[in-house]
Amino acid sequence: MFVRDYMTRHPVMVDPGMSIVEAQGIMAETHVRHLPVVGKGKQLMGLVTRERMRIPPTELASLNVWEITRLLSNMTVEDVMVRGENVITTEPDLALEQAAQEMIEHKIGSLPVMEDNVVVGIITEIDMMAQLTALLGGTVAGVRATVRMPNRKGELAKVTGAISKQGWGIYASGGVPTPKDPDHWDCVFKVRDVPQAELLAVLQGIEGHEVIDIR
Amino acid sequence: MTTMEKAHAPILKVGNAAISYETRYGDVEAVRDVSFEVHRAETFGVVGESGCGKSTVAFGIVDFLGANGKIVGGSIKFQGRELVGRSEDELRKLRGDQISMVYQDPMQALNPSVSIGDQLAEVLTVHRDMPKQEAWRKSIDMLNRVYMPDSANVMSRYPHQISGGQQQRVVIAMALLNNPALLIMDEPTTALDVTVEAVVLDLIEDLKRDFDTAIVYITHDLGVVARVCNHVGVMYAGEMVEVGSVESIYKRPLHPYTQGLMRCVPKLGATKESSILYPIRGRVPAPKDRPTGACVFAPRCDYATDCCYSEKPSLREIEEGHRARCFYSEEIDAGAWRPPKGLVPELALGAEEEGQEPIIRVQDLQTYYTQESKALLSLVGAGEKRYVKAVDEVSLEVPPGKTLGVVGESGCGKSTLAKTIIGLETPRGGEADFLGFDITKPVSERDVKLIRELQMVFQNPDSTMNPSYTVGHQIGRPLRRFNAVPPSEVRDEVVRLLNAVRLDESYYKRLPRQLSGGEKQRVGIARAFASRPDLVLCDEPVSALDVSVQAAVLNLLMEIQQEYGTTMMFIAHDLSVVRFFSDYVAVMYLGHIVEIGPAEAIYAPPYQPYTEALLSAVPIPDPTAEQKHIRLSGTVPSALHPPSGCVFHTRCPRRDMLPDGGKICEEKAPPWQYNTDEHRIYCHIPLDELRQMDPVVTTD
Amino acid sequence: MAVSEKAMPKAAAQPSRLKKLWEGMSIIFESKIAVIGLVIILFWIFVAIFAPLLTPYTATEQDYTAQNQGPSAKHPLGTDSLGRDLWARLIYGARVVLVMLPVTDKFWLPLGTAIWGVLLGLLAGSTLGLMGGYLGGWVDEVVMRLLDAMMAFPVVLLYMIIIAAVGASATNVVLAIAIVGTPGIARLVRSLTLDIRTRDYVRAAEVRGESPWYIMFVEILPNARGPIIVDAMLRVGYAIFAMGTLGFLGLGLPPPSPDWGSMVAKGRQYILSGSPWAALWPSVAIGSLVVGLNLFADGLSEESTRYQ
Repeated sequence: MFVRDYMTRHPVMVDPGMSIVEAQGIMAETHVRHLPVVGKGKQLMGLVTRERMRIPPTELASLNVWEITRLLSNMTVEDVMVRGENVITTEPDLALEQAAQEMIEHKIGSLPVMEDNVVVGIITEIDMMAQLTALLGGTVAGVRATVRMPNRKGELAKVTGAISKQGWGIYASGGVPTPKDPDHWDCVFKVRDVPQAELLAVLQGIEGHEVIDIR
Repeated sequence: MTTMEKAHAPILKVGNAAISYETRYGDVEAVRDVSFEVHRAETFGVVGESGCGKSTVAFGIVDFLGANGKIVGGSIKFQGRELVGRSEDELRKLRGDQISMVYQDPMQALNPSVSIGDQLAEVLTVHRDMPKQEAWRKSIDMLNRVYMPDSANVMSRYPHQISGGQQQRVVIAMALLNNPALLIMDEPTTALDVTVEAVVLDLIEDLKRDFDTAIVYITHDLGVVARVCNHVGVMYAGEMVEVGSVESIYKRPLHPYTQGLMRCVPKLGATKESSILYPIRGRVPAPKDRPTGACVFAPRCDYATDCCYSEKPSLREIEEGHRARCFYSEEIDAGAWRPPKGLVPELALGAEEEGQEPIIRVQDLQTYYTQESKALLSLVGAGEKRYVKAVDEVSLEVPPGKTLGVVGESGCGKSTLAKTIIGLETPRGGEADFLGFDITKPVSERDVKLIRELQMVFQNPDSTMNPSYTVGHQIGRPLRRFNAVPPSEVRDEVVRLLNAVRLDESYYKRLPRQLSGGEKQRVGIARAFASRPDLVLCDEPVSALDVSVQAAVLNLLMEIQQEYGTTMMFIAHDLSVVRFFSDYVAVMYLGHIVEIGPAEAIYAPPYQPYTEALLSAVPIPDPTAEQKHIRLSGTVPSALHPPSGCVFHTRCPRRDMLPDGGKICEEKAPPWQYNTDEHRIYCHIPLDELRQMDPVVTTD
Repeated sequence: MAVSEKAMPKAAAQPSRLKKLWEGMSIIFESKIAVIGLVIILFWIFVAIFAPLLTPYTATEQDYTAQNQGPSAKHPLGTDSLGRDLWARLIYGARVVLVMLPVTDKFWLPLGTAIWGVLLGLLAGSTLGLMGGYLGGWVDEVVMRLLDAMMAFPVVLLYMIIIAAVGASATNVVLAIAIVGTPGIARLVRSLTLDIRTRDYVRAAEVRGESPWYIMFVEILPNARGPIIVDAMLRVGYAIFAMGTLGFLGLGLPPPSPDWGSMVAKGRQYILSGSPWAALWPSVAIGSLVVGLNLFADGLSEESTRYQ
């Protein structure tokens, strides 16, 4: 679960001299919202996003219609991009959650992935979403059970043990501390090929555990 | 490796592209209305015969069209950016960083006077301003990733010092160093031997996975497409006539041309009947004869109706993700197709005549080429003589009226064997007998009566005919020389021969440059058969031809053979080509025959290990077929110093079936083991073990 | 829906013979320089053939009253030191060079001296080249060394030696041109042969047991004709120079033959005294003809390789 496995290789990229009109066209054509700006040899020079291409009204207030059009048509990507040194980037060998933390911290939607100063891919919030879904087994059919257990060693093993003793397979699982309750831990399990009622019965049989949701 | 499919835009999107060339006679439209998409980590195959425009499309993407080519319509979008109309500078930048090309001939991309390491490192130092040391290191890494043996050493060598397969790997490594988003490959394996090709194809498949590159793969070989491509576009006469996934196109081809192609591609079928090749009648229209308001394939189509001639079908979606340019795709049932009368000759499954004396018998034949040593001593004749052992102890026999296919890769000696039998080379040892005549003598010493009975069909259609004389004159020459018919009847006989090769009398006065490749080859066949020889040697007669023409010529050979009762020896490098009409097959390696026997026996176990490797390397035009994955490592040893014992022992993948890792293979030459009376194998491994092998190819 | 078809396709419709000839010629017209060259050559051939109609004088008519004159109404190009009309001498000279070969005083052959010389050189050179290229081995070695020996001599020296040995006459000049031209042609033909003999049709002929002479002259030579023809045209130019040189050295055709070289030789002494005409016009003639041949040959070879 590293950045290299989930990033999009060969991202759509633009060069600094490109007009923003053309850049917008590319964004529309390829359905991307973040374009790394690269120079020779795919070296990162900046990043341009949809928001960056919106010009604040205050700048336009003093111009008349013709000037606005000329301004817009002359503007290049270089004028509006986030400059290279200010772009937050990540590396292919970083763990996925480390990249996610960067995104949260800086409130940004995408991270160009760099290797040897060259852009090798891009990872976006959508990729993170996709991973979250996969993590919780959202893409497969099965029974999804959420179990609340005490926040202690060995509790998780009780659940996995109980399920595997029945000969069932756990397809995905994810756990977090219970919101507002530091003593407990919520864990989601996706189990395949098992009738919901049977799973419920087994899980309820574990002492100290509470099945708070099953669907 | 995501578990949820990301909806990405395609890396390359071609829409209604049209490309023309300026010629002396005006603008010629080479390609029109071509549309397709390629996504990352996908290989899109563009397949078609010569002249269909597939290379033009490939070169057009990066505008490598030369001084007189130009894109006249449509759009080519790379990562959302329109490439048509871009300046040369912008295109050059893209070509350097994001789009790479690999050509058929690796020497087109490699500089013969610069070492391989320098050329590889140059890609990085120039495009990325990388320091030389680091670039060198990365180049070695890349060579390892393309499975180049001894990579550090190769870096300091020059291109001519490595083999063709290795050169191609270097070129692929060069193309990948900059991690391009799009890789365009123009027939990269066509010039390689089958076993080398198999390894390079394996590499290309791995590339997809490791680099996520989008690949456009141009080829004429439907087998290769089935192996490496995900999606395919079939081109005919400058247009794309069918597009779809590999599985859907091979399972259910929708366009009559694709259906025709599938029927004429050589297959490794289990029986002679299932391997028949059905040619497509007619010929490809020249660029200036392509109609704009009608279906371009109609004149050759078995299903054409009037509306096909008056209206041009568009490339429309017939089933999901599968488009075809035909009005009747939904109604045509390819499975119900029956060959029209006269398309293929009747397979004469006549009575087997037992106990016939072989018409040609060769015993322990040896043909060596002396290599001039550069030492001073050899000037005075006292130097050590070195020999290239082109043909070494070859023995075979062919009963009259039958066909022997001789198969092997380059350097195996099959051409030399043919030349020795026909008298263009003199053997230094062994016996060879034909119709009671001794044929170890060169042609100049042979009797005219013998020469007349032993003729040859050549490989290259462009050089098989003398450009200065008419077709009729050249076919007539053997008739006149051998006095096969009285002089007054020569012209009639020539016309009869022309008809026998399915050419009209009007070809009598034509010059070779007015004929197509297939037609020239037919004339070559007519010329060879003119004097009604008893034995005809065919030296790769169809390798240079398109697959549909190939089928027609092979059928023709079969037909003539049946009519005249000629014995044939057919040299080929492709086991699937000889499958359907050879009675016997011999497999050669480094001057030796390693397996020989009736055709069915060769394609089924027991196999000699080389035969097995050869069969597992042939690309099969069926994506669902199961094929063994045996690959040979290393390269063919030099014939100057052939390995001791069994010549194949340096690369044999089955050596571990013998005790001591096959030590005996190095020390002693293997015996001939007889599976049946007529089928023998040159190997130390006991026959029973060989018999237990699985067949190489299993189709459902 | 099946469509039946004839078993044998007809070859595509063929244009008429005349049209094919025209198409062949049109290659020449594509190249401007070839056309210019052709015009010059045709000009000289024309005046050579129709010489008697184009001047009232003969080449040998002397007029002591009009010596060393410049161009005038009576003598369009002037006269030489013996009062002979220069225009007449020029065009009769063209005759000897291009159109007729005076074997003896009474007997002459069509095609001029230069052309005969080149033709004989072609014959000898092609034979040697074919033999060396096709037969190889010691034959090739002997031929090559022979050619090397001949080419070691400076051309002018070789000419002088030959003429000095056999005497100066039209036929001997032809012989000299042929001998001097042979090595160059032989080398060209040899290298073409080395290439062509690898073709499959040569092999097919060998497989038929054809004799080496058949293969060389019937199979190989016709396919080498392109470069040979172009080379031959250039050689006509060299031959004309050679005749000029020989004439200048007094080794050419015996006087009063109007061969241009001798004209230059004779007229040379009068240049500084104000009558350059006798030397000027033949020099211009030699130059123009050679240039014309070169242009024509150049244009042809360029056009034929343009669209490959």
